[in-house]
Amino acid sequence: MNVLYILVPLALALALCGVAAFRWAVRDGQFDDVETPALRVLLDDDSDPPPRSGGDSLSPNSDA
Amino acid sequence: MTTLAPPPDVRAAAPETPCAHCGLPVGRRPVPTASGEPCCCTGCAVVRDALAEAGLGATFDRLRGLSPSTRSARPQSPEALALAELDRPAFLDASTREVAGGREVDLFVDGVHCAACVWLVERLPHELDGVAGARLDLPRARLTLTFDPQRVALSDVGKWLSRFGYAVRPSRPDAGQATAAERSLLVRMGVAWALAGNIMLVAFALYSGLDADPSAPLATAARWFSLALTVPAVGYGAAPFFRRAWASVRAAWAARSVRHLHLDTPIALGIAVGAGQSAWATVTGRGEVWFDSVAVLIAALLTARWLQLRSRRLAGEASERLLALVPRVARRVEADGAVGVVEVDDLAIDDLVEVPAGEVLPVDGVVALGESRLDRAALTGEARPEAVAVGDAVEAGTTNLASPIRIRATAVGEATRVGRLLAWVEQGDAARAPVVLWADRIGGLFVLAVLALAAFTASLWLWLDPAQMPAHVAALLVITCPCALGMATPLALAVASGRAARAGIFVKSDGAVQRLTEVDTVVLDKTGTLTEGRMELAEWLGSEAALDLAAALDAHATHPVAQALVRARGVLEAPVADIEAVAGQGIRGTVGDAAVVVGRAEWVEGESAALPPRWRSALEAWAQAGQTPVAVAVDGVPAAVLGVGDRLRPEAGALVARLQAEGKAVHVLSGDHASTVAAVARQLGIRCARGGVSPEAKRDAVAALQDQGAVVLMVGDGVNDAAALRQADVGAAVGGGTTAALVAADLFLTRRGVAPLTDAIDGAGQAMRTVRRLLWLSLGYNAVGAAAAVAGLVTPLVAAAAMPLSSLAVVGLALAQPSFRRADRSQTP
Repeated sequence: MNVLYILVPLALALALCGVAAFRWAVRDGQFDDVETPALRVLLDDDSDPPPRSGGDSLSPNSDA
Repeated sequence: MTTLAPPPDVRAAAPETPCAHCGLPVGRRPVPTASGEPCCCTGCAVVRDALAEAGLGATFDRLRGLSPSTRSARPQSPEALALAELDRPAFLDASTREVAGGREVDLFVDGVHCAACVWLVERLPHELDGVAGARLDLPRARLTLTFDPQRVALSDVGKWLSRFGYAVRPSRPDAGQATAAERSLLVRMGVAWALAGNIMLVAFALYSGLDADPSAPLATAARWFSLALTVPAVGYGAAPFFRRAWASVRAAWAARSVRHLHLDTPIALGIAVGAGQSAWATVTGRGEVWFDSVAVLIAALLTARWLQLRSRRLAGEASERLLALVPRVARRVEADGAVGVVEVDDLAIDDLVEVPAGEVLPVDGVVALGESRLDRAALTGEARPEAVAVGDAVEAGTTNLASPIRIRATAVGEATRVGRLLAWVEQGDAARAPVVLWADRIGGLFVLAVLALAAFTASLWLWLDPAQMPAHVAALLVITCPCALGMATPLALAVASGRAARAGIFVKSDGAVQRLTEVDTVVLDKTGTLTEGRMELAEWLGSEAALDLAAALDAHATHPVAQALVRARGVLEAPVADIEAVAGQGIRGTVGDAAVVVGRAEWVEGESAALPPRWRSALEAWAQAGQTPVAVAVDGVPAAVLGVGDRLRPEAGALVARLQAEGKAVHVLSGDHASTVAAVARQLGIRCARGGVSPEAKRDAVAALQDQGAVVLMVGDGVNDAAALRQADVGAAVGGGTTAALVAADLFLTRRGVAPLTDAIDGAGQAMRTVRRLLWLSLGYNAVGAAAAVAGLVTPLVAAAAMPLSSLAVVGLALAQPSFRRADRSQTP
């Protein structure tokens, strides 16, 4: 049973990673709008992609 | 003569039938697709046929049905003024922020409602040089745009979007704060669940036998581990509950009344005692630990709070979006004759302001140049546009319909009549007694009951077995922690208002849902609420062909009566010549090869022959009902008579009948002429009707009803209703209403007409039934739990099983509630 001394903190570390990822996703605004991205998938764009100069990724807002 | 001859089945479609492709009304001359569906125009029919041919028709319909409709009831025409506001340096400074690749700005885009809109709006970077990125948030109709101010002006973006019927508005800067609050609560919730999950993991080990020997090193380690995780769960996760509980305790202390304690108090008490007792047990190595119950409780409560905040935000942003439609700038004519765009706040008395046709007057004043017609419906309820000329007094908030005028300001800002009304509405908002829901009202009683039970348990066990006393008291406080009770109301109402929002019914406060179920008196506005709010062809007698000829001629006139006829009949493709408008009388000309005269009956009689007596009496009857009588003569012979007026909404009759069947008193209060109001009331079978009521008198009338003990629902759409909407127990603004009405109302309906009001009343009733059921369920759970705890039957394992079970039952029942279901379905086929 002593393996638990390692396994439980390990589980906790994994959970911490999860929380960190979640926190990043929230601050990135990924939960602000959960409907439009689902629709965006349905629109296949057959033209050239737009210039990706920082436009596509929403930069984290200063208020986050 | 008729060049377009649709097949009879399509032609028979009512003008209100939605176009098979775009959903707008098809009007009088629908265009059929190959399969015979009615469309509003050839363009829609061609696209629909093309989609069907490619086998994509079904997919298109599904895509269109995928997203909730956020389309505003009244399509907005692009206003040059709103676009000009986007380019003002002050706006650019205040509302845009520096990002990599240029500047970023949030804009409201009115008119987006489906996946295709997302695609079209997000094409912006391809279409306009200088736009680096465009992301549309469909439910909130918010566009985040990254652009280079050196290469593209925001007004050009607005113009590009307006080509497709989207109206762009500057968004208010405080929208970001709501997002920040919601994000921080979401992170708190995520952390709380992660902690609760890990604490449960260890708790499983303890329950499955690890705690058989509490002094074993592994058991001790497990407890310390749980304690370490519970500290952030309580300190960070439950912080909002402690903060609010403390505030309510202080308020209760200041008022010397337990009624000020709300439900956060027993919640905070339960969390504090559960965590404290467990911590003490861990440190001393004796007694039970409740870490898992406490952690799950915190996470579940945070989830309910977050859901509530999110659904509230949806309604808040919808009203925000509608507010953004009001331009905050005006056109001032400078001393040198140039017209400059300035903030409304910067206008001063005696400034000369230019108002093009279609714009709302920003100031009270006197017409200095030009003549036009004003739509005063929003301010006075008067449905008929009024002609104004140089020297006439005009009011802010009215709409200029016909041609540009210049106004010398006599009052600006809050000194205008509409400004004074709005100021009162805002004051009323602050002074209004806060509505407390039942669950919060019983918070104080709940605390007292729990404390009394705790004292009873303590004395009982002191007498039975003093050693077990602390454990049983802690068990009582943990099991009676009103988790389900605290979640029930917000959750049920959040689910209901979220569904309502999808059906186009936005509820601004939870209190409004409750009061809507208690309403016994309904006060209805006439213009724009019971009626369409604009001139429409209401009645006619005579030859249909003559009406079409008259419409063809009227297409060349700007008078509202003429426009109503054109809207109703469509325009024939026939050459129109020799047009001559006779001021105040009518218009004559040649359509095809027929000489047509349209106008006042007496004038038309003079141009042709006397009207038949039956038509004459019909005209008199229509005039009595407040309509404008018009006669048509073709080739010197009277051919038709018609009445143009503010038509009753088709669903108004059903609504009134239903309200009266439920035993509610129905009143009509309108600023329009008493005879018109009486005619409408007679038609609907309403006995209490008053016309010629000023906005202030409307408010007083509602207050007088309330003094007699009535719970009043006020339904209106105009500035003239705003004060009454605020005064009423529940104010409802109907589709296409003005800004002031939306600000003042507790709920507003974005679909046209009053039919959604029925849905709102039904839905509110079901939501409140669900809330009550959930409250009884959770109270019952707490009562059983308390009895078991007093008897000493509650162990940590029992609590750990019972608490999530009760919470899940509440969540499940809240989600399964029937409220607003029907409206929801009808919205998404």
